[in-house]
Amino acid sequence: MTTEKKKPILAINHLVKYFGEREILKDIDFEVGQGNVISVIGASGSGKSTMLRCINLLEMPTSGDIIFEGKNVLDTSNNIALYRTKVGMVFQSFNLFTNMTVLQNCMVSPVTVLKRSREEARQTAMKYLEKVGMAQYINARPDQLSGGQKQRVAIARALAIKPQILLFDEPTSALDPQMVGEVLEVMRELAEEGLTMIIVTHEMAFARDVSTRVIYMADGVIVEDGTPQEVFGSPKHERTKEFLARFTQNT
Amino acid sequence: MTADMPTTFFGWVVFIINQYGGALLQGAGVTLLLAIVGTLIGCAIGLFVGIVQTVPITERTNTGLKILNRAVQFVLAAYVEIFRGTPMIVQAMVVYYGSMAVFNIDMSAMLAGFLVVSVNTGAYMAETVRGGIISIDKGQTEAAMAIGMNHFQTMYTVVLPQALRNIMPQIGNNLIINIKDTSVLNVISVTELYFASKSAAGVYYRYFEVFFVTCVIYFIMTFAASRILRYFERRMAGSADYQLVGDPMADPSGIFPNGTKMGGK
Ligand SMILES: Nc1ncnc2c1ncn2[C@@H]1O[C@H](COP(=O)(O)OP(=O)(O)OP(=O)(O)O)[C@@H](O)[C@H]1O
Ligand SMILES: [Mg+2]
Repeated sequence: MTTEKKKPILAINHLVKYFGEREILKDIDFEVGQGNVISVIGASGSGKSTMLRCINLLEMPTSGDIIFEGKNVLDTSNNIALYRTKVGMVFQSFNLFTNMTVLQNCMVSPVTVLKRSREEARQTAMKYLEKVGMAQYINARPDQLSGGQKQRVAIARALAIKPQILLFDEPTSALDPQMVGEVLEVMRELAEEGLTMIIVTHEMAFARDVSTRVIYMADGVIVEDGTPQEVFGSPKHERTKEFLARFTQNT
Repeated sequence: MTADMPTTFFGWVVFIINQYGGALLQGAGVTLLLAIVGTLIGCAIGLFVGIVQTVPITERTNTGLKILNRAVQFVLAAYVEIFRGTPMIVQAMVVYYGSMAVFNIDMSAMLAGFLVVSVNTGAYMAETVRGGIISIDKGQTEAAMAIGMNHFQTMYTVVLPQALRNIMPQIGNNLIINIKDTSVLNVISVTELYFASKSAAGVYYRYFEVFFVTCVIYFIMTFAASRILRYFERRMAGSADYQLVGDPMADPSGIFPNGTKMGGK
């Protein structure tokens, strides 16, 4: 591969996931370098979410290795909670804590998990809420916000624990079209600042313009893995071409 | 004697209030005490049982813990089924007389009363709490885990506050049921309101008049309890709107989780 030869911070080796008898992920292999912005595209049901959830261990892989900072996170001795503070996740359905205000959502993990002082947690939370443009809304509760606002708070909440990698599972799919832009704009800024991200998305323009790498998945395997120019410009595989063609027709 | 005896219904009611008002109020006090303490302890038991019943067991849990968990779950399930499946009046008899016969403990009727109401409420609350916990959207737990919380932290900061908010109406329901159902404790001579009423009624054989007064007292207690609980429910729901914060970095307003500071404008 001709992509940048930075030392990987995350390596997925031979990842396999079964749900019952069904093999959902088949021998997934890829590496994530510092500052990579990787878009994962593919048809519904191809296993994109499952892969992301395996990476942050919301699902336990059936076999394979996930190497983070040189250690296999699947070792039974590994502290999963601690690992998750380094690999954050943003969900399609936001999942803001409904019993807390916006600010509390962004402070709860720094205080209870990372044992930061309240003042420090508050400063950090405010910094990231500022960044996503939600600092004015610190006293609001999640059900009082629009979808786009919720997702921006969810991003601030994930950033407040200062993860090394941030995973996004279709962060804009649950949003009304006019709110998609505000969330993508935040993500674009994060990419420019060098945050390492893996983004499952159906926003092809965003994948093409913002990512350093694009992965196309089908039926639980990585079919294509390359720069946006390679994957969108001259896909090597027939299936990628079909998928992209269908996509451009539909949208 | 007959000369100064009342002749009308209301005459009798006034007479009974004068004669036995104090005793009835004392009985009402005992009823309230039993109901409130029993509900609180019952909630604590229910919370504990409900939490233990929802401890997640995964492939990574070690075998010893899995076996222990099985045993504990069996005991808790048996507790819930037995105490939900038998009448409180019978439980009172079994506990009060059984403690003496089997364990040689001379328990006061009052203590047996507290025990029965608490344990009985606990069995119902356990189911309520368990239901409250599993009804919380899975996304909430996943989001908590995704920012590094362990099971305990997730429960404490996210799931239980939401579950408790949702089951507040059932807690209130239990309190009201207990105010009424502690009346069965008269079978072990706990001097609660029903027992006091029965004693008072027996003196002049004015059952209707005495129990009319008793009825009013029960209703006042349950109605007040239901209104007070409604007020707490509303407070827990938080304020309906929020203020934008102009210069957020300068805002010192109170911050931190779990409802203690929620609500109010
Ligand atoms: N918990 C589960 N139990 C059983 N099967 C599951 C589970 N989660 C996902 N699957 C199955 O795994 C397959 C891949 O699902 P996944 O959600 O990863 O797809 P996806 O690529 O994210 O799709 P989409 O674009 O619709 O989100 C699907 O066939 C789905 O039915
Ligand atoms: Mg998905």
